[in-house]
Amino acid sequence: MAVFLAKRAGQALVAIFGVMTLVFFIQRLTGDPTYLLVPETATQADIEAMRQSLGLDRPLLVQYLSFLADIVRFDLGRSFIQNIPVTEIIASRLPYTLQLAGGALFVAFMIGLPIGLILALARKYKSSNILMGVVLAAQSLPTFWSGILMIMVFGVWLGWLPPSGSGSFAHLIMPSIALGLLSMATYARIARSSILDELSKDYVRSARARGVPQGRLVRRHLLRNSIIPVISITALEISQLLAGAVIVETVFAWPGLGLLTVQSVVARDFVVVQGVVLLGAFVTIAVNFIADILYSVVDPRIRLDGAGQ
Amino acid sequence: MTTLINRIRPIFLSSGSGVPTGFFIGIVALMVIVAVFAPWIAPYDPNAQNLLGRLKAPGTEARNVLYVLGSDELGRDLLSRLIYGARISLSVAFLSVILSGCVGILLGMLAGYRRGWVETVIMRLVDIFLSVPAILLAIITVAVLGPGFINVILVLALTRWPRYARVAYGQTLSVAGQPYVRLARAMGASWGRILLLHILPNIIAPLSVVATLEFGLMVLFEAGLSFLGLGVQPPTASWGAMLSVGRNYVSNAWWIATFPGLCLFMLVLSVNLIGDRLSEYLNPKSR
Amino acid sequence: MRIRTALLAATCAMVLAQPLAAKELLTIDLVNEPTTLDPHMQWNPDSYYVYRNIFDNIVTRDNDGKIVPQVAESWEQISDTELALTIREGIKFHDGSDLTAEDVAFSVKRIIDPEFASPQLGQFNKITDARVEGDNKVVLVTDGPYPALLAQLVKLSVVPKAIVEEVGKDGFNANPIGSGPYKFGEQQRGVSVTLVRNDDYWGEKGEFEEAVFRAVPDAATRVANLKAGTSDLVVSLDSDLALQLENDPQVQLLTALTERVGFMGINTTREPLDDPELRKALAMAIDREGIVEGILGGGEKVVSQMATSAHFGYVEGIEPIPYDPEQAKQIVEAAGDAAKTKMEFATAPVFDQRIVQAIQQMLNDVGFNVEISMSDMATYLKTVQQPEQGSRPYLSFGRWSCACQDVDGVLFPLLHSGSNWSRVSNETIDEALETGRSSLDEQERLDAYKTVHQLVHDETLILPLYQAAALYGGAAELEWEPTANESLFLNRMSWKEQE
Repeated sequence: MAVFLAKRAGQALVAIFGVMTLVFFIQRLTGDPTYLLVPETATQADIEAMRQSLGLDRPLLVQYLSFLADIVRFDLGRSFIQNIPVTEIIASRLPYTLQLAGGALFVAFMIGLPIGLILALARKYKSSNILMGVVLAAQSLPTFWSGILMIMVFGVWLGWLPPSGSGSFAHLIMPSIALGLLSMATYARIARSSILDELSKDYVRSARARGVPQGRLVRRHLLRNSIIPVISITALEISQLLAGAVIVETVFAWPGLGLLTVQSVVARDFVVVQGVVLLGAFVTIAVNFIADILYSVVDPRIRLDGAGQ
Repeated sequence: MTTLINRIRPIFLSSGSGVPTGFFIGIVALMVIVAVFAPWIAPYDPNAQNLLGRLKAPGTEARNVLYVLGSDELGRDLLSRLIYGARISLSVAFLSVILSGCVGILLGMLAGYRRGWVETVIMRLVDIFLSVPAILLAIITVAVLGPGFINVILVLALTRWPRYARVAYGQTLSVAGQPYVRLARAMGASWGRILLLHILPNIIAPLSVVATLEFGLMVLFEAGLSFLGLGVQPPTASWGAMLSVGRNYVSNAWWIATFPGLCLFMLVLSVNLIGDRLSEYLNPKSR
Repeated sequence: MRIRTALLAATCAMVLAQPLAAKELLTIDLVNEPTTLDPHMQWNPDSYYVYRNIFDNIVTRDNDGKIVPQVAESWEQISDTELALTIREGIKFHDGSDLTAEDVAFSVKRIIDPEFASPQLGQFNKITDARVEGDNKVVLVTDGPYPALLAQLVKLSVVPKAIVEEVGKDGFNANPIGSGPYKFGEQQRGVSVTLVRNDDYWGEKGEFEEAVFRAVPDAATRVANLKAGTSDLVVSLDSDLALQLENDPQVQLLTALTERVGFMGINTTREPLDDPELRKALAMAIDREGIVEGILGGGEKVVSQMATSAHFGYVEGIEPIPYDPEQAKQIVEAAGDAAKTKMEFATAPVFDQRIVQAIQQMLNDVGFNVEISMSDMATYLKTVQQPEQGSRPYLSFGRWSCACQDVDGVLFPLLHSGSNWSRVSNETIDEALETGRSSLDEQERLDAYKTVHQLVHDETLILPLYQAAALYGGAAELEWEPTANESLFLNRMSWKEQE
């Protein structure tokens, strides 16, 4: 097991390294921020001078090696555009992303899981399936559309909530709902299938035969045993959320990392993009790592080291 | 053939909340038909502009053109754009699912069956692709290859194939140890044959659920790309692009966004419901 | 609605410990947050909307566009290459220290220092030196006669030498200190910048005690904020969004014609666009009046030269090319297959897509084969300026502004053969542009520019389309006259008198 962990950790590092290199070179393939930083009236000489001061005129390999040297010292560099260290920029936006992700997960859980539970337990009542329809409907609208609708209704027309921005709990409500809508159906479906799985197990039948009331059965046994798939799905949903947040953050002016990524990519602020990608890569790869371990724990038929093939 | 029909019929008739799945399949089929026969169905040229006939409400007429569903910000007939838009929205989603699915499933099966360094390389590739932000990939593709319809499909495929790969990988791992697979190997079948004839048919069920749900997602993503300015090129009409532009007209020209939005909504909802019913049907424990 | 919002705001205020009543605080929605508040370190509107209020410039423009004194009380051209500025007395920086000639000279030298690498260097690099003379005079020395100098000085902000030298570039960036009507309050990265009124300002003091600039990237959301009352002023609206402000008594549309000229760039080095007749057909196919009347709604005007009445160098007598699609069709047909070459029309998302689509349609209606090619701004700029002229796109859409209101900043980069934007190589034009740039005689300059405008018109080297307007949304009680140079001067804004 230890050997396996070490091997996988090593592979994870290689993967992160791979992502960073890929992103590094690809960004520089698409041009540079110089044109965006100077006024229209800049001459070719001005542009060259700007490029030089940013260090972008050095050969690509030199830039890459200097980048690696910095990374090893945990120095993520300085933004070309804002002239402050990347770590400062990311640190100032990270809390917002965590808040939004938390809020969205909360919404998705609070609505998706109970619906999944009801769908599994009340399966005999065909009309309960309308709930699935509702949840799926929520997942069928582009977020920029549901976002502006919510803003118009709750922000402008009714005036109950601030249309955009951050700074108070009220500001978090609409963006969380907009983002949470996307994951609701996934949780409902997972909850439903995992509870159905449990229901077909022997211990449930014997408990029922012994006369254990439904409520106690649900609370004591079913919920606890069905939670594992929900956890592993959450792991995947988190990286999904971070990506999907881009549009929600744009529409609601929520200053999270998604919006930062878009703005930095558009502005060709390579250093910031690299910083965010590093963070994302770390999280994604770590999460996948854990999910893979859970996989083998759950299904012992899968030998992690491939033996038996 | 009859077994195929016998397997499909229950899906058609299964009614969750009383609305048979067949209804939703019908909606999707209707949209496909509209898309295919667009040039014959659309009343006007979707790109014909009329700067004096901008933002006309549904039902108004201007310069001998009857705007059944209203006109957009350049005076183009919304109904015609909606009909032609079906082509783009449907084909982008469909082609990107096919592309990402084929690549992802193939790589996933390879990783799950061959194990060893093949598995390592492929799964780390999956990790790498999952960590690069989709928006980054989108902008780069557009910058390197130029914008357009094909490149939207490429971008979508590039960002989604890892998901098929992971599911295929996991499923292949489970199936690979089964007796009939071992038997085939003992009989000397090449791994290509085994993958295609023995493993694929047994993992196709959960994968088709994934594909169906991905279809809906691709429709939404195409809309998202249009919102960010990276989608199909103007003046091409796609429901996503029309919806994105329509946001700026909610108070004074609600039809520009509402009708494409409704179509998008019905398409994605139908596909999602079909996928959901499919997954229920394939899960024996829910029956 | 406003009452309810005010109540909500008051409740939030109690929670957030914000001590100001709604009237004292002005909330402005920008597109992006300022990248830096150091006036010499960047070049983007979102930053300068904010720092314009923290710093005073050497001279400024009044609401009619005339150059008027600010830090410099008066000036005199003492020789062909020297401009003497008399610095006003009594200006204090926000920390209480006096603004002296030393600070002015320091600011000029800072911005032209190649080591400092200011993105604005190109606009000021004709200045070679800044000498302090006596107590309150600064002499600027230029490399050759430079008539556009004063126009460029409108953009040069004065920073305090002692503070900058003490805290360094990064320190100053984190806490900018100027002499303007508003002081820097605080900045929340990604969210907002807060400015506080400078009660010791030497000039016209601001009416609001605090001003908050927020970043709201989506235009539809900005409009929603305005209508909901959570912001008082929003920038960058287009004419269709402006329609949403009609019929709402709580908001108003504020517009100003700017010095931006919307134009279509033509790559005259690529076939078939090397044929002047065909280029003329391009011009005749586009219904500029139709676009301005039908699509734009901010009072934009059609222009027939690459300049507006807000520029020095705008000449009378250049006739617009008439809209004549019939004749355009004939020319295109006569040109045969060459005219049917697929031509890409480069654009970026920040430009008005309705206009780009309308133009494409009009050109295709007369027989051209134009396809829109939209890429993001960085790619667009790179493609349009690439050194290999033959690979540049056939057509491109642009909105040019030099922020100087002098055609030297427009025509020279766009038409001089040595410039990276230009696709033109014409000796007459080069000569005329160089005369215009270096002659201190106004009439001589105007004559030179007239030659250029006329040539551009006759050969259709570039197609000027319209003078752009800036559209802002404001609360109904806001009293403000936007200016052509798109500066948000807080101390020129106020609340309307209540009856």
